[in-house]
Amino acid sequence: MQTNQLFSFQRLMLLGKQSFIINKKLIGISLAGFAGVLFMLLLLFLSKSNFSNWGNKEYMITFTFLFFTLGVIYSSLSFPAFRSKEKSITYLLLPATASEKFAFEILTRIVVFLLLMPLLYWVVANLAGAIVNYYVPRFTTYQFSFTQAFSAMADQGMFKGWGKLLFAQGVLFVFIASFAGASHFSKSPLLKTMFTISLIVAGYALFTYLLVKGLNLQAYHPANDRIVFVDSKNDAIAFFAILSTLINLCLLAVAWFCLKEKEA
Amino acid sequence: MIQINDLHFAYPRQQVLFDGLSVKLETGSITGLLGKNGAGKTSLLKLITGLLHSTSGNLSVLGYNPKKREVAMLNDVFLVPEEFYFPPISINDYIRAYSPFYPRFDGEMMDRILIEFKLCAKGYLHKLSHGQKKKFLIAFALATRCRLLVLDEPTNGLDIPSKALFRKILAGSLDENQLVIISTHQVKDVENLIDKIIMLDNGRVIFQQTIAEISQKVSFISETSADVEGAIYTEAVPGGYRLMVPQGDTETAVDIELLFNAITNGKKIG
Repeated sequence: MQTNQLFSFQRLMLLGKQSFIINKKLIGISLAGFAGVLFMLLLLFLSKSNFSNWGNKEYMITFTFLFFTLGVIYSSLSFPAFRSKEKSITYLLLPATASEKFAFEILTRIVVFLLLMPLLYWVVANLAGAIVNYYVPRFTTYQFSFTQAFSAMADQGMFKGWGKLLFAQGVLFVFIASFAGASHFSKSPLLKTMFTISLIVAGYALFTYLLVKGLNLQAYHPANDRIVFVDSKNDAIAFFAILSTLINLCLLAVAWFCLKEKEA
Repeated sequence: MIQINDLHFAYPRQQVLFDGLSVKLETGSITGLLGKNGAGKTSLLKLITGLLHSTSGNLSVLGYNPKKREVAMLNDVFLVPEEFYFPPISINDYIRAYSPFYPRFDGEMMDRILIEFKLCAKGYLHKLSHGQKKKFLIAFALATRCRLLVLDEPTNGLDIPSKALFRKILAGSLDENQLVIISTHQVKDVENLIDKIIMLDNGRVIFQQTIAEISQKVSFISETSADVEGAIYTEAVPGGYRLMVPQGDTETAVDIELLFNAITNGKKIG
């Protein structure tokens, strides 16, 4: 056993082994259940569209919906030990550093989901499509491809320059916000996180509205050269890409300090 | 091993619990932490293990600041809380999942204690009774061979034979490098086991002495009458009285319950 006080991969592996021993049945049941339900759902959608009007775009819309819905729910279940005092005591006194516990939660709640969910969806979607095509030969657009979907998005200019970072950070924000909420709120973390984010957004919108109305900013039309930055669409994308990166880093910092300073 | 100096602590939006608490504990002893309900026993144990953070003061456990929860400290500290949670896995799986975190974990000792407690390693933890779960956790705690074992109300939920077994196993499983702190209000359960007593009341240490020191100062006797000259404290019991008197010619076993009642009633033994 290493006694590195900051980070040890050996202890991180031990956390993984421990989690696997405790959750192996749950993991197996969840994966099989998800694949089964997804398979049935896709068959239902394919039948609803008469096995003809269902293509890559429809697969992608279904994927996007499931990806974000399940992802938010799953990452809101981060730090499961914090849901009860008894579990918190065991978790906090487990001999691993806060960095290791934090890294383990990020890996299992965000990274693994980001990698595994698209892979599972791709396998199940192609399997469902192939089976339907076998029995219903007129269903010809049965193959689902992420490459094709992302190429279509790239053709629309979504991934130009800072656009890639904005896209990635935008996707990550959904998961990281839910992750940070789970570290902070012990009970009903998802509801409370959504409520908090809604409050912040509503507060910002109200502030902007009052500012524009109060100072009559809608009548203010400065020359472009008087604006310090953000005078084009590209600059705006760059600005929001950097802003979303900073927001995500701040949210991760919040989660980190919640774990480090947690009491039981 | 544990050094607490001028410790201050209060729960948020509540009265101050510890206001200048000082305690020193060395290895090689089993210390009983006694006190009425709400005296601050569990809070003190949580402060010692780093589960709560003090407002101010110095707290050193095995040379570490428990607030930081450093791995080197956590490797050597095990808390058996009053209420606990076990995942729905077998005893064997639990040992496989948790023991690698404790470098001095003794698998043979674990097996031996499981047999003594009549627990089956293939049994599922969530199917055990509360008392059986507690026995398993105590067994695991002892097998970690941590230098500091903190037991919060360890005998709660144990049946009478298990309480005796607990005392026997605990006494036979420790070495001189370990310190055990047992917090309890069931003082009879830890009699003949502890060798130092700390009593808490309203967040203050009102008594702190070893059993040997107590035995040198007072005796505990039974009489039919309470009218005994020099008695420090008297309590009516069925068939007569229990008395705490200054030490005479004969040394008696320390009656911790009587001592506790005497001290909490303001009596002093020097």
